[in-house]
Amino acid sequence: MVSYLIRRMALAVVTLVMITGIVYGLARAMPGTPLTIAIGETDPSRKLNPADIERMKKAYGLDKPWYTAYFVWVGNVARGDLGRSISRKQPVARLIGERIGPTLALSGSALLLTWVLSIPLGLYASARSGAVDERAVSFGLYVLYSFPTFVAALFLQIIFAVWLRDTAWELPLFGMRGDGITVESSWLARTTDMARHAILPVICQSYVSLAWYSRFIHANMQEVVRQDYIRTAKAKGAGPWRVLVHHGFRNTLIPLVTLLGLSLPALLGGSVIIEQIFTWPGMGRLFFESIRERDYPTIMGLTFMFSVLTLAGQLVADMLYAWVDPRVSVE
Amino acid sequence: MSSDQTAPMTRSSSPSEAKGFWSEAWRRFRGRKLSMAALGFVLFLVLVATFAPAIAGTKPVVCKYKGTIYFPCLSYFDRSLEPVIFAKDRFRGTYPANLAEKDPESWAIWPLVFQDPYRSVRDNEWPGEPANPARDQGKPSRRNLFGTDQYGVDVFAKMVHGTTVALLVGFVSMGLAGTIGITVGATAGYFGGWVDMLASRLIEVVMCIPTLVLILALVAFVDQPSIWKTMAIIGLTGWTGIARLARAEFLRLRSSEFVMAARAAGAGPVRIMLRHILPNALAPVLVPITFGIASAILIESSLSFLGFGPPPPSVSWGSLLNDARSNLQMWWLVVFPGVAIFLTVLSYNLVGEGLQEATDPRLREARK
Repeated sequence: MVSYLIRRMALAVVTLVMITGIVYGLARAMPGTPLTIAIGETDPSRKLNPADIERMKKAYGLDKPWYTAYFVWVGNVARGDLGRSISRKQPVARLIGERIGPTLALSGSALLLTWVLSIPLGLYASARSGAVDERAVSFGLYVLYSFPTFVAALFLQIIFAVWLRDTAWELPLFGMRGDGITVESSWLARTTDMARHAILPVICQSYVSLAWYSRFIHANMQEVVRQDYIRTAKAKGAGPWRVLVHHGFRNTLIPLVTLLGLSLPALLGGSVIIEQIFTWPGMGRLFFESIRERDYPTIMGLTFMFSVLTLAGQLVADMLYAWVDPRVSVE
Repeated sequence: MSSDQTAPMTRSSSPSEAKGFWSEAWRRFRGRKLSMAALGFVLFLVLVATFAPAIAGTKPVVCKYKGTIYFPCLSYFDRSLEPVIFAKDRFRGTYPANLAEKDPESWAIWPLVFQDPYRSVRDNEWPGEPANPARDQGKPSRRNLFGTDQYGVDVFAKMVHGTTVALLVGFVSMGLAGTIGITVGATAGYFGGWVDMLASRLIEVVMCIPTLVLILALVAFVDQPSIWKTMAIIGLTGWTGIARLARAEFLRLRSSEFVMAARAAGAGPVRIMLRHILPNALAPVLVPITFGIASAILIESSLSFLGFGPPPPSVSWGSLLNDARSNLQMWWLVVFPGVAIFLTVLSYNLVGEGLQEATDPRLREARK
């Protein structure tokens, strides 16, 4: 067990170095530098003179070739320092800390909603397998699965923010906080306001995975109900729901647990598109902005975090797999 | 060597009537109504893309001018195909009035809908028809079936001409991704050992980088974005799933008897991989490629939607949606392109699923 973990960790470190190296090289190869892009875009007249740019380049280590700068970055990360954002003049770690809460609120509720709805839906589809209503539901889920998120987001925005404007059903178009809400507002007012802002993004973030999970559960259940132990359970007189849930569903938990591990990066990484459409101040948006601003330290900090989460998610999935299924051994 | 080798035992009465693997798969595929309808929709899109200039445009499909026959509509495919004579005679892209004026003898066959995907139609450009409405006045109407955008450009014409991009993105990027994926996966699976070790690591690294991160970085990296570069980027980032499957198939088949026989007959590794293993590994690899087409279309339209798409004049459905973001009350800018993207993605997913069910013997066994 321990030797397995050590081997996996060592491989993960190699993969991590490769990923961050590639992204660092790509980021530095993008046209423009954080100095020219950030300042030139806001105000052309405030363009720095060449001498100042040279001085700032030195200060931020941009005068070095990318591989040298990359090793400096690796050294800093090894010492627990993610660097300072160039365009925002703040430590990257603090920037990430500010954005992680909103993203977690969004993706956490989306994940919860997905699990709470997809398990009953998947079980329902398995119970009614082959019936007309099951096929209608399954086809509906399939259609939902193919529906592009950003199209759905625009549709929802049109319905709830344009057509239903000035009615009780109106929902905010974007942002995370309403105008009248300040730090002094009551806890309840702040929570309801944030919840109202979160409804549309949460729907957009959960419906695709809801469709996918339900189909996944249904497909796995179809596999399970053909097993001999299901026939045994039926023969000994267990009711249909007991057979389905107690004997069937428990055996489909194994692949589900793997999925739980793999959804870890998405939970904290956020969704670039959804956060961008609803201007939700989360990780995905931070990443999008930092690419635009060529803010190398932030790009690297976020890439590092995404990659660590992805690798950790894979490891957790494999460990959980061995844990729930005694037949599987990690060795 | 043909793909017949993995053909499952067909249930026909005499062995001589046994059908090939692909005709058997096609027979199964045909039995799925939804997948057939989806395939029909894809073929419909191919037709629309091919005949786009004849469906919507402001240039005649065929015309006779000063004694010669021309096809001005072809210039929608490529600027250089515009006959020189029209530039010389100062048509400036306005055909109906100029044709009648400069050569009374001329005749022309016009596109079904007289609207241009790149500019607004002016007042009386087509005799008796008013100019396109602009801003939020362009509701769908008889003249503008899908409405007009904020500059008065017809949405229907834009969508018809954008079909080409939607189709090309899928085929070109997945053609690239398929080539890379099969090459990497085949090499890794066939040779094994340290080659496999290296290739698997490469696959894992590319898989671990979030797709959008990689794509946004590559898009920013490209100096002058064009639709071809976008396709190349999507292809360069989307091959990992295909490579994994190809690797598994080659790993499985490299120790099979027919490969051993081929090796005994003196075939080299490249020949064995291409002629003997690949045809047998193609079916499982085709499935993720079809799903990949769907996701490539999604990625392209989300890139255009985020404003990272190819610049004008190339029209894509996603860029129409991007226009809609700042004009939400113009619902027709969302509904028509949105539904088009959705239907295309759905179709490719349905075709992919049909393909999977028709070619995967394990699923067939499970259905019994």
